[in-house]
Amino acid sequence: MLTIDSVSKSLGEFTLSNVSLSIGDGEYFIVLGPTGAGKTILLETIAGIYSPDAGRILLNGRDITDVPARDRNIGMVYQDYMLFPHLTVEENIGFGLKSRRADPVFIRGKVEESAELLNISHLLHRYPGTLSGGEQQRAAIARALVMEPEALLLDEPLSALDVKTRESLRVELARIHEATGMTIVHITHNFEEVFDLADRVAIMRGGEVVQVGTPEEIFRRPNSDFVAGFVGVENLFRGMGSSTGTVAVGNLRIQVENAISGPVSVAIRPEDILLSKTALPENEKNVFLGRIDSVRPNGGLVRVFVNTGIPFQVTLTRQGFEEAGIAPGDAVYLAFRPSSAHVYPSGAPEEA
Amino acid sequence: MNLKKPSFFRAATITVALLIAIFILLVILGVVTHSPMGVFIESLFSEEIQFAVRLSIITSVISTLLCILVAVPVAYALARYSFPGKTVMNMLMDIPMALPPLVAGVGLLLFFGVSPIGKSLAAAGLTVVFTPLGIIVAQFFVNLPYMLRVTRATFQSVNPRYEYVAKTLGCTDAQAFWRVTLPMSSNGLLAGSVITWSKGIGEFGAALMLAGATRMKTETLPLSLFLNMSIGKLEYAISAATILIMISIVSLYVFERYGGATHVY
Repeated sequence: MLTIDSVSKSLGEFTLSNVSLSIGDGEYFIVLGPTGAGKTILLETIAGIYSPDAGRILLNGRDITDVPARDRNIGMVYQDYMLFPHLTVEENIGFGLKSRRADPVFIRGKVEESAELLNISHLLHRYPGTLSGGEQQRAAIARALVMEPEALLLDEPLSALDVKTRESLRVELARIHEATGMTIVHITHNFEEVFDLADRVAIMRGGEVVQVGTPEEIFRRPNSDFVAGFVGVENLFRGMGSSTGTVAVGNLRIQVENAISGPVSVAIRPEDILLSKTALPENEKNVFLGRIDSVRPNGGLVRVFVNTGIPFQVTLTRQGFEEAGIAPGDAVYLAFRPSSAHVYPSGAPEEA
Repeated sequence: MNLKKPSFFRAATITVALLIAIFILLVILGVVTHSPMGVFIESLFSEEIQFAVRLSIITSVISTLLCILVAVPVAYALARYSFPGKTVMNMLMDIPMALPPLVAGVGLLLFFGVSPIGKSLAAAGLTVVFTPLGIIVAQFFVNLPYMLRVTRATFQSVNPRYEYVAKTLGCTDAQAFWRVTLPMSSNGLLAGSVITWSKGIGEFGAALMLAGATRMKTETLPLSLFLNMSIGKLEYAISAATILIMISIVSLYVFERYGGATHVY
C-alpha cells in the first residue's frame, strides 16, 4: 500500500499541490496527464529524490517522508532508461545489490534471474550504447526489479520507443506485473496505455489530481471538461441542466439520470448511441431525428457523423453499419439511454 | 550551396583561411628549424635545459593535480546545487582567467609577501615568494578557472537522473558521484587536466612575478626561454621553445580528441 497524503512540492515552474493518492498492494496504477502536469515530480517525490514541502508518504504503513531515496526500497525507471553507459548490462543490473555489499555470487544469480525475466540474458556482457531502445528499457526494468522493491515507478516507460517495440514492451509490463504482483505506478501522457495496463488511473493537471478511477470510469464518466477532452470524449456538449433531470443543449432536451441544475456538460460515448432509419417509439427518451453528414470507416468500425441540430458522433460495427443501410444525406433516428448520458457541472468555459 | 558554380565569396573566405594557416605553420617551423639538429640536441641535453624541463614537469604536474583536487568538488557544487551567492562565485572564479597573468602575479606576490596570511605561512615554513613553490602557486591560480570551466561543463552534461537512479539503488550522494557521475565524466576530466597541465607548463607572467627568474632555481621552460633570449643564448632559447611547441600540439590533440566526447552523455 502506497499512500500519498496531501503532498505539495514546488520546484520552479513545476509544482505538486495537495496531491493525495492511495495505491493498493499489487495495483497497476497509471498517472495520466499532459506534459508539465507534475507527473515526474510526483514520481521523484515518491522515490525520495525530492522531499515534499508539505504532506506525507507512507509505504506499507511506514512513514517514508523523511527516508532518503536509498533506504526507501522503491525502484525507478525513466523514459530515457538512464543505464550507466560505463557499465555493462550485467554491471548495471547488479549495481544496486553491489551498493548493498551483497556477495558477488549472490549478485550474479540475482542478475541472471532478473535478466531471464526480461528476456535479456544474451545481452549481459554488452554496453548500453550498443543496445536498441527496447533492450535498454528491459535492462533498466531488470535493474530496478532485481532489488525486489516494494513499489516500482515507471516514468513514461514506453514513450521513447517505436510503435512495434512499444507494443511488445506493453505486453511485457503486463506479464511482469502478473508474475511479480508488484505495486506499479506508471506515468504517461498516452491514454492508450491505460486500458491495457491500469487497474486504476489518476488524471493530473497543473500539479493537481483531478480525477481518480478505473479506466472505464474515467472514460465513461469524466468529471470535468479537461478529463473528457484529455481522454478523447467525442460527444461532449455544454448545456443548461434542470432539477427535473433534463439538459437543454441547443434545441434538444437530453434526459439524464442525475439531475444537476445550472451549466453542465454532457458526455455520451459514441458506441452507446443507436441509429435507425425507421422511426423509433416517440415515448422513448432521448430519441432525436437528424441527418447523416458523413461516414468514416475506421478499421472494423465505422464512425457516423449525424447532425441533429447539434453534431453527434456514433460508432457502429461494420456489420451494424451495413445492416442499417445508411448513407450520407439520409435522415436517421438517433437514440441513447439516459444512463449513457454522463452529466457533470461545467463551471466557466476552459480549454481542454 | 552550389558546388559547381564557384562563387567569389567562397573563394575569398577559403583563401583567407589558407593564408592564415600557412602563416601559423611558417611561424612554428621557423622556431623548430632554426637550430641545426646537432646544436639543438646538444642544448637539449645541457644541464640548464634539463633542469628547466624537470622543474617545469614537476611544478606543472603538481599544480594540475591541485587544480583537479579543487575543481572537482567546486565544479560539482556549481553544476548541481543552487545556493546563495552562486552567481557571484561563478564570476569570481572566472576572474583569474580574464586577468593579465602579470596582474595575477602582483596580487599573489602581495598576498604571500606582505599579507598576514602570507607572512604566517612563511613563518610556518611555506615560503612561496621567489621559490619553486611560488611557480606551483602561480600556475594553480591562473589555470584553475580553465579546469573549473571544463569540469563544470562536463558535470552539467551528465543528466542528474543518473544519480537519482543510483540513489534509488542504494547509493548515498557521495557514492552516486563516485560510481556514476565521475566515471561518466572521465573524458572531460582528462581533457581538462591535459589543457590545464599544458597551460601550466607554459605559465610565465604570474610565475615570473611570484617566483622570480633565478637561473637554475625557478627556471622553468618559459623562464629559460626568456632568460636565454635576453642574454643572447639563442640555441638554448630555441630548445625551450621547441619543447613547449611539442607539448602544446600534443595537448591540443588530446583535448580535441577527448574533450569533444563530453557531450555524448
